[in-house]
Amino acid sequence: MIFNLAKKSTLIVEDFAEFARSVRAMLHTMGATSVDIVYNAEDAIEACKAKKYDIILSDYNLGQKKDGQQLLEELIKYKQIKSNCVFLMLTAENTAAMVMGAVEFQPDGYIAKPFNGNLLKSRLQKATERKDTLQSINRAIANKQWVEALENIKTVLPNHPKYKMSCLRLKFKVLKELNQLDKALELVTEIVAQRAIPWALEGVGEIFYRQEKLEKALDIFKNMIKEFPMALEGYDWLAKIQQKLGQPIEAQNTLSKAIEKSPKALQRQKQLGSLAEENNDLDVMTKAYRSAVKYSANSAFSSPDEYLKLTNALSLQIANNQDVISDKIISEAEATFDKLNQSFSSTNANLLRSSVAHAAFCNACKDEDKTKNYIEQSEKHYQGLDEQISSDISLELSKTLTSLGKENLAEEILNEAVQQNLDDPEFIRKAAEIGANEELINTCKKASQHNIKAINFFKNKKYLDAIQCFDKAHNLSPSNINIRLNYVQSLLKQAQNENNPADIIRTADTMMSDMPQLAFSDVRYSRYSELSRLTQLMLQKH
Amino acid sequence: MMHNSGEDIFNMVLASTVHDMKNSLSMLGESLNFILKQVDIKSLDRQTKNYYGVVQYESSRVNNSLMQLLALYKLENEQLPFNPNYFNLRDFLEEQKLKHLPLLEAKNIECDIQVDEDLEGIFDDSLIATVLENILGNAVRYTRSKILIQCTQDKFTNISISDDGPGYPEEMIELAGNYIRGINQSTGSTGLGLFFAQKIAEIHSHKDISGSILLSNGGELGGGRFEIVIP
Repeated sequence: MIFNLAKKSTLIVEDFAEFARSVRAMLHTMGATSVDIVYNAEDAIEACKAKKYDIILSDYNLGQKKDGQQLLEELIKYKQIKSNCVFLMLTAENTAAMVMGAVEFQPDGYIAKPFNGNLLKSRLQKATERKDTLQSINRAIANKQWVEALENIKTVLPNHPKYKMSCLRLKFKVLKELNQLDKALELVTEIVAQRAIPWALEGVGEIFYRQEKLEKALDIFKNMIKEFPMALEGYDWLAKIQQKLGQPIEAQNTLSKAIEKSPKALQRQKQLGSLAEENNDLDVMTKAYRSAVKYSANSAFSSPDEYLKLTNALSLQIANNQDVISDKIISEAEATFDKLNQSFSSTNANLLRSSVAHAAFCNACKDEDKTKNYIEQSEKHYQGLDEQISSDISLELSKTLTSLGKENLAEEILNEAVQQNLDDPEFIRKAAEIGANEELINTCKKASQHNIKAINFFKNKKYLDAIQCFDKAHNLSPSNINIRLNYVQSLLKQAQNENNPADIIRTADTMMSDMPQLAFSDVRYSRYSELSRLTQLMLQKH
Repeated sequence: MMHNSGEDIFNMVLASTVHDMKNSLSMLGESLNFILKQVDIKSLDRQTKNYYGVVQYESSRVNNSLMQLLALYKLENEQLPFNPNYFNLRDFLEEQKLKHLPLLEAKNIECDIQVDEDLEGIFDDSLIATVLENILGNAVRYTRSKILIQCTQDKFTNISISDDGPGYPEEMIELAGNYIRGINQSTGSTGLGLFFAQKIAEIHSHKDISGSILLSNGGELGGGRFEIVIP
């Protein structure tokens, strides 16, 4: 194969300038003409916005801020690199491979420092070859076209025995997405029967977990951390299962072991914090959320959650702990609120969460004026709310507002959430526990039953019956978005069967335009916009 | 709890120092290669070539020892990542050769690889690479003119490195399986490399059978022969 670097553009991300220059010299020797150098991840992100590189060589250690793995995650998550861009991670030791072993976004390879030009060339050549071979699969996966991805794997697999394991790993991922759990289990079981490979072993346990075979999953992961004590995802799974089996203390111990080995993991710290919260272990909880906020700053997976959890932990410290120095805690909490408000967009939903938590913190400090001030702000942001808030956030807000004596607002938020999430029994249970309106819950349960019945009619292509049922469900719970979307979908289906569908389409249109706008981040957004587009299209035709 | 902040600090200092020194070693190596590009290596006189070899060999030895020390420290503290996967053995062994290519060319050493195109092995590539880098480095240092890398597979994967040099000292071969005793301050011996190789082979276990290493003399090319067996 002819490997030509002359037409490829390369970005080197390396905090050690002289080393970056020596890598550039190697690339020039190989015929590269376009090589850029940046010294940190932040500049790399800017460079990738300006230019679509063919190759990125990034050091794993990039000083205090984002590391090479966080850079890769951000570039992929925000689609700043081409799908066939080759990303090689330069590492000082193989610890990097450990940290990244099973993360969602993997680089195309690692090169241990120091290396010579010959090795770099060989790695680049192989990574390019591999990427090109698997590109059709990866592109389909990136576009969430699972069936097509599976087809492409079928084409690639028999012709490229060298990439068999890579193909099987991708196939496992796709089968999971398609919810074909039996096939997925068969695939990884066959691999593990040959040899315990960490990712495949994890896969077996994951499928058992998803099939609710918790005891089997528990065995797999207990065995996995024994055999591969540094495969940290094994601890994450084990803790998750122990928690589900009602063993929160064991779960906390399991996660603490993983944190000891590698503290630099946002999700794991958050999980530990939440377990410690369940176990009333205030110190571990505070420490975990403190770390989570610290690592959140450089992560593409950051969210307001960890900030609010930390301020909640600090509130509890002040309220329950006589020994703490409250001045120090207060300034830490205020700094956390500042960082929270700067780091995320100023939507009313974000500001509402921040001001409610702020009121709760001031209340814990017995500062009545400030508490009142933040409650007033909360009410203002609630009035301005223009997007759906998730069920978890509704629960959080409702609980906190109740503790602040704002029962009316708490109930309003909770009732809205009940209407929106009537098909989520776990949430309804929690909502009933903290005092959601009983009558409303009963109405919503009825609406949910009609909704389920209607979905079955729809599946059997009995669109008229489905419409009737969705209509009943909708009348019982007019603001529920899922029911509305279902309703519209069956109206549009029925419209295709009618000779004179104008009325039906108009009903669908009204249903769509009365609906509150969904946030882009809402999981239902793509369905919502597709139905909205179809409705407009059919309106024009008739 | 096992938590010990003194250990944590040592671990951190060790890792960051290794990182730093490896950067320096990279620089040294690349600078040397850059200087050498200005002249034709083949035209150098014997003694200069020899010095070039010494710089290459010693810097890769320092690097390799650092890696081994760090890995052994982590192994002791149950922190050594072990992530076995399937690898094409030809690709893998070619890469090990490429790491030593500048020196092989400068010293005019022939290095053959005999392995079936499609052979696949299951192992942790970064750990086995560290083992082979050390053994291959020594082979380049001690051989006369040839090195042979062979790989076969029966129930196990066997990788051997043979040379036509003087072979291993008899007392080293006698250490078989007990290479910790080969680490000897007064001779500055290669004991660390063999001890490390043995440890890494042992981690590669499958169904109660663990890997092993084997030293012998008078192998394929008449000199020393190192073999690592991975179940």
